[in-house]
This record gives sequence, structure tokens and C-alpha cells, in this order.
Amino acid sequence: MEGAHLTLFWLALVAYGVEAGFRLAGVASASMWRSPLFAGVLLHAAFLGMRWGLSGHAPMAGLFESLTVFSFCSAVGGLILCGSEETEAAWKPLSILVLLPQAGAALIGKRMTPLYPALDTPWFASHVGLSFLGYGFFTAGLALGIAYLRGEEDAVYRAAGKSALFGFSAFSGGMVCGGIWAYYAWGSYWIWTPKEIWSVIVWVYFAALTHLKFIPAHAGWPGWTKRLEMGATAAGYGVVLLTFLGVSLLLRSSHSF
Amino acid sequence: MNALWRFLTSLKTCAWAGVAFCVAGAVGSVVMGRYPELFADMDAQVFAGWFARKGFADPAPTSWLYGLLLATALFAVNAACCTAERLVQIFRGKVTMRLLLPHVMHIAFLGVVLSHLVSAVYGDRIPGVAIPQGGFAIVGGTGWAMRLDRFDAVMAPEGYPKDFSATVTLFRDTTPVARGVVRTNAPLFHEGYGIYIKKFGTTPWGAPYVVFDANRDPGATAILAASLLFTAANLLYLLPARRNDA
Repeated sequence: MEGAHLTLFWLALVAYGVEAGFRLAGVASASMWRSPLFAGVLLHAAFLGMRWGLSGHAPMAGLFESLTVFSFCSAVGGLILCGSEETEAAWKPLSILVLLPQAGAALIGKRMTPLYPALDTPWFASHVGLSFLGYGFFTAGLALGIAYLRGEEDAVYRAAGKSALFGFSAFSGGMVCGGIWAYYAWGSYWIWTPKEIWSVIVWVYFAALTHLKFIPAHAGWPGWTKRLEMGATAAGYGVVLLTFLGVSLLLRSSHSF
Repeated sequence: MNALWRFLTSLKTCAWAGVAFCVAGAVGSVVMGRYPELFADMDAQVFAGWFARKGFADPAPTSWLYGLLLATALFAVNAACCTAERLVQIFRGKVTMRLLLPHVMHIAFLGVVLSHLVSAVYGDRIPGVAIPQGGFAIVGGTGWAMRLDRFDAVMAPEGYPKDFSATVTLFRDTTPVARGVVRTNAPLFHEGYGIYIKKFGTTPWGAPYVVFDANRDPGATAILAASLLFTAANLLYLLPARRNDA
């Protein structure tokens, strides 16, 4: 069973690779539901479900599981927000953004490890799962932001706006779950570590971003335009990446891998 | 006065406060690692006490915290003024749930900030209460003595802990006032304090010992309530947003 579930992981990687290859070659699928990316998501879901069953905990601990869940949530976020023909321009960057973390996970040890007792709680899955779902929507936001900056289509703009709103909502839910869990596990809903600070940075960044569309456009610096908003939506992915990988790998934190 | 009100209710103020928060926080996350001797005990006491002692004594490496606090305050005042102004406009016209929900979220956000302020000023942190099994220790300034009646750890064959629990009794003078089991993700609560297992081990003479933390966050319940209100309003806001394709 352990080998079989990893086969699903590799098949999902191949599907994502085929999708990215097709997109880079300019070959488009007939519809989202017939795309290699959709097949990859199904295989990926089966992989994660099997791994959850085998390990006995949500597969979101350690760098390998974090990267592969990040890839999965990016694909799901993309399917939800970029599924229509009008947003097809976002699929090329999206396919690469889904492929990269999965390819990164492929290079890392995949051994299942037991959870530290404090992590063995439903709060773990809800906190981490919702946070990654938020990351997934923000990833779709990068793809849509790039697509808008190149084509300036209204449908893409609306979908990108949803990416910030949906991602912000999921991420907020993850923060609430994390706060409740931390209160019961470590004695405080808040501790001063780089990861916690960066989590609030992500929250504040996207909270502010969801307000930008309501600022009337005018020419004064920095130019409160749709292009600025889309640029900020795309740049949000950088903030997410710094929070997810940068802080965990480079700074000492409660969430280090 | 009008200019000040326009500044406080402006969405641009919200955007710039957000940028200031992000910059201050990013700088702080790096500075914290550069000055571990300064920031290591930040969670060992409530924030107001720590800041009063370290923030003013060593302002240079803690300047990011001033920025963070100012940006948070501006963010909160901006949300409060925006909501005050908009609610007046909304209630003068046709009131819809869709119009109200962002302001419910603003109010919930303010609830979180203010409740956290209460915890940061009036909370308490009593770290490192070490007790060998059968022994007693004084729990900070609470007036309690805590006895570790029993400690159990379930270890996996590979050597890592699978579960651990400590049975403790709290005494005031010589009278037991509370008894319970502290385990992973399940502290013992008494009179607003939560008692948590920080770490455990074995004394040189072979008895198990446990190090406890006792924390009090008077704003925690209000923060939970405000967070749940925020989440509920946020979820409701998504529903019409999907229908209207907004």
C-alpha cells in the first residue's frame, strides 16, 4: 500500500508536467474537466487520502507533505477560479505554479513520520488545511494577475478579485483554528515568532488588497488602478512564499521544517 | 478637522497602514533573530510588561515594534471610522445584509484588537514551574501551591512520546482548591489560569518531573467570540459574492 500511494504521487506529478508541457507548447485542452491538470488533481487527492489513511494523520507535516499539499491546493484553487474559457489565459502560469512545488516534493524524502503529540488533534488538519487552501487561492491569484497584466480582460480581473477574497477567507479561518489550537496546546493563542508575524503579514496584506478595488481610480502616485491591484495580487504570492518557505527554512520558528 | 476625518476614513489610509504593518513585521522577523538575548523572553511575560522593560530601554532594535503597534492602531482606527461613517449612510438608505457584512467584519476585527490589548496588559505568564512527582511548587503570584500527583508518558517503541499526562492538585494554604489532569492539548483551567505541560523528564534520582506553564489571558474568550463573528460574516459575504459574480 505504501508503494501504491507513492505511485499516485508520481502519476499526479506526470499529469501536472503534461499540463505544463502542453500549455508551454500552446496546446489547450477541450475543457477544464478533460485536462491533464484535472486528472492530476484526482490522482493527487487519491494519493493524499491514502497517505492520510496509512499515516493516521493529515498529510501536512514536514516539507514533503507541505509542498505536495501546496501543489494540490494550488491546483484546486486554479480549477475553482480559472475554470472558464474567459480565464484560460491564466492556465499557462497556473500549470507551472502547480507543477513546481510537486516537483520540489519529488526531490525530498517521502517517509511517513509520526506526529508529535500536540499535533495529533483535528485542529492541526483544520489550521494547516485552511491555510494551504488560502495559499492555493493566492497562487491562482498570481496566475490571474499575470494574465490580467498581459491582456486586461474583465473576467480575469473579477476572478483575480475572487482569488484574494477566497484566499483571505480560507486563510482567516486557518488563523482562527491555529489560535484556538495554540491556546489549548501551548498556553497562548499568540506567540512572537517569525512565522506568526509573517502569517499576520499575509492576513493584513490580503485584507488591504481586498479594499483596493474600492479606491476610485486616479492618476496620482502610486496610481490606484486595476493594474496596481492586479500587480499587488500577483505580488501577494511572493509574500505567501516567504511565509511558507522563506520563514520556515531560513528563520528560527515554531513552524520550521 | 474635515481633513483628519477624511484621512481616518480613507481606503488609502487602510492600504498604507497595511504596507507599514507588512514592512515593520518583515523587519521585525529578521531583527528578532539578530538579537535573541533581547527577544528570547518575549513570550515568558505579557507583552505590555515586556515592552515596558525592553522596548523603552533598548529602542533601536525594538523600533519595528513601534511601527507595528502604530500601523495596527491606524488600521483599527481606520476600520472604526470607516464603519461609523458607512453605518450612518447605510441606515439612512435601504439596509441589506450585503452592505452590513463588511462592517460586522470590521467590528469583529476591532473586538480582536481590543481584547488582545486587554490580554497584553492584564494577562499573566508564569513560566517554568518545575515539580518532581510527589513534590510541590509555588505557582507565581497566584497564592497556589501545585502538587504533581502522578505523571504518565506513553512512549512509542521508536522512543518518541505518543501521549503524556500529569495529575495535579492546586492548594491554597493547605486546602485543595482544584484537582485535574493536564495532558497534551488539554490544559487544566482554574480561576482564569490555564496550566500547561511545557516539558518533562527524569530527575537524577530517577523520579519523573514536569515543567509547567501557568498562563492567564483575560481577553481570550472575547477574541474567540470576535474571531467566530468575523468568520461567520466572512462566509456569509462569500455567498452573495458568488451569486452576483462580484
